[in-house]
Amino acid sequence: MIIRPEDVKGDITKSADVVVIGSGAGGAPIAKELAVEGRSVVVLEEGAHYTRDDFKLNPLESMMRMYRDAGQTITLGVPSVVAPMGNTLGGTTTINSGTALRMLGPILKKWHMFHGLHDITEDEMGLLYSHLEEYLFVKKADPEVAGPVANTFLEGARKLGLSSGWLPRNAKECEGYGSCAFGCPSGAKQSMDVSFIPDASKSGAEFYTCCRAESIKVSNDVAKGVTGRFVDPSSGRSTGIGITVEAKVVVLAGGAIYSPFFLLRQGLANSSGQVGRNLEIHPAVQTVALMDRPMDPPKGIPQSSHVDEFKDEGIMLEGGTVPPEVHAVTLPFYGKAHAAHMKQYPNMGIFGGMVSDIDSWGRVLALPRAGYSPSIFYSLKGRDVEKARLATVIMAEIWFAAGAKKVFTAITGHTELGSTADLRRLAQSRIRARDIYAMSAYHYLGTCRMGSDPEWSVVKHTGETWDVENLFISDASILPTSPGVNPQLTIMALATRNAGFIDDKLNNG
Amino acid sequence: MLEKTVREFMPVLLGTPEGLPDPDIEGQTRFALEYLSAGAKEFKPVYLIAAASFKVLAVLLKRKPWSMLTIEEKDYVANKLFSYSNPLLRSIPLLLAMPILASYYRREEVQMALGFDAKALKADAELRTVTRDRDLPPKCK
Ligand SMILES: Cc1cc2nc3c(=O)[nH]c(=O)nc-3n(C[C@H](O)[C@H](O)[C@H](O)COP(=O)(O)OP(=O)(O)OC[C@H]3O[C@@H](n4cnc5c(N)ncnc54)[C@H](O)[C@@H]3O)c2cc1C
Ligand code: SF4
Repeated sequence: MIIRPEDVKGDITKSADVVVIGSGAGGAPIAKELAVEGRSVVVLEEGAHYTRDDFKLNPLESMMRMYRDAGQTITLGVPSVVAPMGNTLGGTTTINSGTALRMLGPILKKWHMFHGLHDITEDEMGLLYSHLEEYLFVKKADPEVAGPVANTFLEGARKLGLSSGWLPRNAKECEGYGSCAFGCPSGAKQSMDVSFIPDASKSGAEFYTCCRAESIKVSNDVAKGVTGRFVDPSSGRSTGIGITVEAKVVVLAGGAIYSPFFLLRQGLANSSGQVGRNLEIHPAVQTVALMDRPMDPPKGIPQSSHVDEFKDEGIMLEGGTVPPEVHAVTLPFYGKAHAAHMKQYPNMGIFGGMVSDIDSWGRVLALPRAGYSPSIFYSLKGRDVEKARLATVIMAEIWFAAGAKKVFTAITGHTELGSTADLRRLAQSRIRARDIYAMSAYHYLGTCRMGSDPEWSVVKHTGETWDVENLFISDASILPTSPGVNPQLTIMALATRNAGFIDDKLNNG
Repeated sequence: MLEKTVREFMPVLLGTPEGLPDPDIEGQTRFALEYLSAGAKEFKPVYLIAAASFKVLAVLLKRKPWSMLTIEEKDYVANKLFSYSNPLLRSIPLLLAMPILASYYRREEVQMALGFDAKALKADAELRTVTRDRDLPPKCK
């Protein structure tokens, strides 16, 4: 059952086997798996519930309703990074692009060697991925539906002989409405709100929406439940109505920014001092190309193709169309020049280059701020800056090979590449992090990382915290490093795995 | 104060999109304010600081009082600030422009002129029902 705030008339007290905080990629699979096993499950989700009727291909309206801070969250540091995240039933999956990739093989080996996570085996992950791929109808994007931008970019990549292809996506019968990040209007995208959540509901799980968990009840280092408050979805202010859920197991699944924020505010599960540290964001630089023919944006699949030639070097290219209001803020001009370029929007395409961050530094802190807001610090450093430049050069090279007249980049001093000579200049230059005027990130990870050493990690390989018994964390925060690709499938795989350990725990009393 | 600032910067940062619908200063300002209010609490004061900094830097760069500067000169200042490698200077026009550009390019008639008919796509999407039914019978155990 999905309970909206208007259905709640007064304070609520409940008891359940499991209470889950957050309904995204980490929370929803746990709720479903345990509900199907006959466990009583209550989920508290701070965001509101929207359905396909509400998804009107109106990006800004969607961002104001379903994104944290209307999608304007930025990191503090150099460069500033726009860091959007979902705040709605289904979490960020409701507004994500639907790319569903398995973690790169060498990454799991790194988790074994550097984080002692030998219990997570390749075979087990393989089975979990296969199960999820079937459940979520994962298949490669259809080139017929993908749209001209993706096809053109791939054409350029092929001319250069680069490894590239169509991305696997959790979308069924996708017709390329170009609106994945603002809510899929046809119900094609298999985000949590149309998959795990309805199935969990059918098995009796209760989802309280517009309900922010505020603290975890702990007695003698054992989690006992959660208290929370209903909030007004537009202002985020408390409605004055509270909820208390007594539970045998508590699962924190608020995402890699809000889970550490939650724990830091309460001073919980942090004997290692690692909560909020080790933040990786998998930042992305974008390039915009002006082509000599119509690109028909934003129709097509917003993120349907990739160039993975450089994945082992930590660079993945994925893209790309965005609607006019989003495209407008990516152009490196203002006033007259901006207006002149926007007129050419129908002939433009956009592509992004994601960088696996290895040298950069990031941290989430709970500093005094207005509202319920963490502070996110992030600085791009060392080899990651170089990777961002390389990603830009490769994308520009591909665009030119595909026939671009101009390529616009996010690197000051090289914002407009009108020829391959301009491109050579960028290819031969050295840049600093401050030279990148805009980056964005979509994959926050690592802030409550798993590990085998309680001094260096927050949770065990099972997801249970080292410090508080029966308190599990299940979201992007437990991934010790980036999976090298878009992380949702890995988060869901680990959540499904953790559900098994929670079930065992409940069986053993 | 915020409303005045958005109104003042709108023609500067938006330019005059030739061949596209005229800006609707009233409606767009209303939307830009709503959009700013939906963001982090600190965003509004930061926006005002960016506007004040823009004015001071414009006066320094153009050696003229703000009230004497033409739209073209302000346009020049916006692009000049954006070309600096100092991230703080660069972020001034970036920040000021965000709600203004978004407020214009989200308008239905502007999007239609750019070849994007969101309503037609939504109507098309409504005709379709994607269920989670599977084409094949479930696998036998
Ligand atoms: C625009 C965009 C596109 C993306 N595209 C892709 C993609 O194509 N493929 C991919 O693999 N990944 C993609 N991602 C990333 C992916 O969606 C996330 O990594 C994933 O959803 C994270 O899962 P999570 O469970 O950690 O957090 P989320 O999915 O964000 O869920 C956390 C939930 O917890 C709720 N919450 C937080 N605190 C509280 C509290 N105190 N009380 C109650 N509720 C709370 C939040 O409201 C939220 O709904 C994208 C991300 C973005 C922003
Ligand atoms: S492209 Fe359109 S139909 Fe396909 S998943 Fe995205 S929003 Fe849904």
